[in-house]
Amino acid sequence: MPQLSEITNKIRESARKALESGKAEVVIGYRQGTIPLTTAPFFARTAEECDQLVWSNFARINLANYLSGRTGKVALVAKGCDARSAVGQVTENQILKDNLYIIGVPCSGMIDNNLVTAKEPRPISEAVETTDESITVKGGGFSTEIQKADVLRRNCATCVNRTPKLADELVGPEINGGAADDFADIKALLGKSLEERMAYFKDLIKDCLRCYACRNACPLCYCPICFVDETRPQWLGKSTDSMDTMTFHLLRGLHCAGRCTSCGACETACPVNIKVREFNRVMELTVQSNWRYEPGLSWDQKPPLTMFQTDDAADFIK
Amino acid sequence: MNNPYLPYPVRIAEIRVETEDKNLRTFKFEFLNPEDEGKFAYLPGQFAELSVPGQGEIPIGIASSPSEKGFVLFTVNRVGQVSSYMHNMKAGDVMGIRGPLGHPYPLDKLKGRNLVIIAGGFAVTTLRSTITYLLQPEIRPDYGKITFIYGARTPGLLLYKDEWMAWEKRDDIDVFVTIDREVPNWGYRVGFVPAVTKEVCPPPENTSALICGPPVMIKFTQPVLEEAGYQAENIIMSLENRMKCGLGICGRCNVGPEYVCKDGPVFTLAQLNRLPKEY
Amino acid sequence: MTEYIVKQNALADFFKSLASGRRLLTPRGTGDKCKLGETPPDQVTLEYTNTHLSPKSLLFPQTERLMAFHNERDKPNGYVYQSLGDNGEPTVVFGIRPCDARGISISNKVFQNDRFTDPYWKGKIDQTVFVGLACDAPSPQCFCAAMGGSPFGESGLDALAFRQGGDLGLKTLTDKGAELIKAAGAQEANLADEIKKLEATAIEAQGVKADYKPIDDLDLMDLFKDPHWVATAENCLNCGVCTFFCPTCHCFDIQDEASERGGVRMRNWDTCMSWLFTVHGTGHNPRPTKTERVRQRFMHKLKYIPLKQDGVRGCTGCGRCVAMCPVNIDIRSVALKMTQTAPSPA
Repeated sequence: MPQLSEITNKIRESARKALESGKAEVVIGYRQGTIPLTTAPFFARTAEECDQLVWSNFARINLANYLSGRTGKVALVAKGCDARSAVGQVTENQILKDNLYIIGVPCSGMIDNNLVTAKEPRPISEAVETTDESITVKGGGFSTEIQKADVLRRNCATCVNRTPKLADELVGPEINGGAADDFADIKALLGKSLEERMAYFKDLIKDCLRCYACRNACPLCYCPICFVDETRPQWLGKSTDSMDTMTFHLLRGLHCAGRCTSCGACETACPVNIKVREFNRVMELTVQSNWRYEPGLSWDQKPPLTMFQTDDAADFIK
Repeated sequence: MNNPYLPYPVRIAEIRVETEDKNLRTFKFEFLNPEDEGKFAYLPGQFAELSVPGQGEIPIGIASSPSEKGFVLFTVNRVGQVSSYMHNMKAGDVMGIRGPLGHPYPLDKLKGRNLVIIAGGFAVTTLRSTITYLLQPEIRPDYGKITFIYGARTPGLLLYKDEWMAWEKRDDIDVFVTIDREVPNWGYRVGFVPAVTKEVCPPPENTSALICGPPVMIKFTQPVLEEAGYQAENIIMSLENRMKCGLGICGRCNVGPEYVCKDGPVFTLAQLNRLPKEY
Repeated sequence: MTEYIVKQNALADFFKSLASGRRLLTPRGTGDKCKLGETPPDQVTLEYTNTHLSPKSLLFPQTERLMAFHNERDKPNGYVYQSLGDNGEPTVVFGIRPCDARGISISNKVFQNDRFTDPYWKGKIDQTVFVGLACDAPSPQCFCAAMGGSPFGESGLDALAFRQGGDLGLKTLTDKGAELIKAAGAQEANLADEIKKLEATAIEAQGVKADYKPIDDLDLMDLFKDPHWVATAENCLNCGVCTFFCPTCHCFDIQDEASERGGVRMRNWDTCMSWLFTVHGTGHNPRPTKTERVRQRFMHKLKYIPLKQDGVRGCTGCGRCVAMCPVNIDIRSVALKMTQTAPSPA
């Protein structure tokens, strides 16, 4: 049972070495959050600042998001999914491979706060975590232990790439994945009528505020100007009109096809708890079954939808 | 209740192409409902939202003078969606104007003073309004010497040619028009606005400067005036920022705590020196 | 200002009376579904922390249609915008928290400013009576007292209710509130001391005791130029979550949507976190990177609004942005950094 403090110490050590050796001018990792059940992305530039880096069961945000467009040398603290996104940033020419040093953290999954508050609805003022297997949440007159397995994020529960294999170093023993996402629910959904599918997705996004936290938390969404923000021409209305909102989510899903690593940052960022990944999962299934491609597992393979080959599957084009 | 979002309907009475690149056109509007003209009572330096149904709105300085009755003038540069659309409209078309918005130049407070009015490019619009207003026979005696410095890149980019040529012939205003580079048959000055200002601007005693122009012109003219001894309180400028409501509500045009739309667009340099340069 | 009491067994009748002739809105649902909703008088609950989003959308909906036109150019009033009205209706809001009511009173000074009155806002707020419910159990993210408010704050309210055992205590704050509460059959009672005691306990229960006063005394330009903003903004994603959840964020965009037959002009919530928010037609942007945009948000809340509103801060300490920020940018930490700004030599 790995102690979080052990991993934290190893991350700090690796971070200091990366800075000292000149492999990186900045280390992007996590620091303790200011409220319970959170961490915050943190940019360490000195040995002293490295002491603020931590490992946690709440390291949910995908730090590869901070890579695109960076020019200096950077070290990235990365879980399996984040490392795959970082590789994607390289294959999509957002950062030079030589400028990137990945401090890989084998990951046993991150906690979904909504599942925690479902189990312990009383206001939580403190969360204690010492291992990667359970947490204890405390509040006015209570202290409740919660097993991590019961409150894992959906994407973490079906993760098969827990160990960042393409990392420059690993700060802990390899962790193997469990059962992969079988997409049973998506397959069932795709078997339904067009109207039923539309109804499903309409209901899914009915609370969407169009704050674009999903997009902004996503390492794939690095376009300088997103199509929803274009003004000349303006592709989309800016109101809460359900068709405009749907168009945003559908197009984002398509833009991420074959690139999404199921890191779950979009769902973590969503302030109204929309299962944004449902759009991505449809595309993930599509890409996997048509091209047998999984993103971020090779330095030189390009996402299939950015390539054209004469033997590409074409039967999905109607 | 008065709804400040609701434009007054106007008809385009005339469109004049101002510049040789055809990117600037002056729109002469007449109010559809004559009583709206009284509600739109304005002073030089104020602006309005030009409002095209279905397209949107753009904030534009009022180029006409309150002394010109029966119409209002706006000179519009073709840059975005609304202005491009307007450039394809024709006389007789109906649209809207909303305002007047913002504060005018503090001409009331400047009575008895000399004025140096410095304009660059198409930012001359509200200064055209100002000069037309000041040259009214019943108003002109309230002010001292008036000096007008106006520059553009080329002769073809100078607005309101008929007017500044007429002003030039008068003896109650000194007019200095300049272009960036020498061209054949150009009978006026050559050189950038800051250089011309250095040469011709009146002494700072009892004088205020009104400046409107592109950022680069302002950046280099401001030190010329300061070197000449002008106090920051006596350098008056008009700012532009992206705007929507024009009412100090929608939030985007702020410079520190001040809204360019509601608290400006006219500020003294002394005020701006105490504010972030977010414009 | 008079205090009243409604005994537990009279609560049902009290709420029935509040709802008579107008709609009664109270917090409904739990967790991320908790929001103001029309409530039958017998279903009013006092058991909630706060609404997930701030209640500002009641007066300032995320999308609001302002005016419309018909594209009949030849007819009188064709191609001319006509107002769609303010859509206000007689409403009593029961159970808004003092932090959120304070947010409304801050925004009210923007929507009804020294020069212009927003008729869409005014039409709604004039027809609404706000009865707040004081907080006796602050959530871990609450810091209203540190921001100059109180769990028993009165700003923006017509009356303040508070729990007294099983009974409901009330303090009327405006004529509008007094009329409503009196008509609802509440009995007069002397509760001033009781309120003081409860308020002190509630403030004590709040974890944050920080003193942000130095920000008020620091020069605007010193705060603005402080180098910490680069680091403060470094992890910001520039999403709009903080602004959408904030009870005092009131920025909007105006958009036209048109078809062959006509169109509408509407306003939609906008966010200063967006690059688009300030970009000029020429492409010049006065706030080109997230550093300027993050600084704008905090300077607006903690310096610009106080300068314009007699020292009242633009943050009410509701804690929503703290809880919702995906990367844990915590306004309390930012405010503390601002207090540490070094004043420039005079």
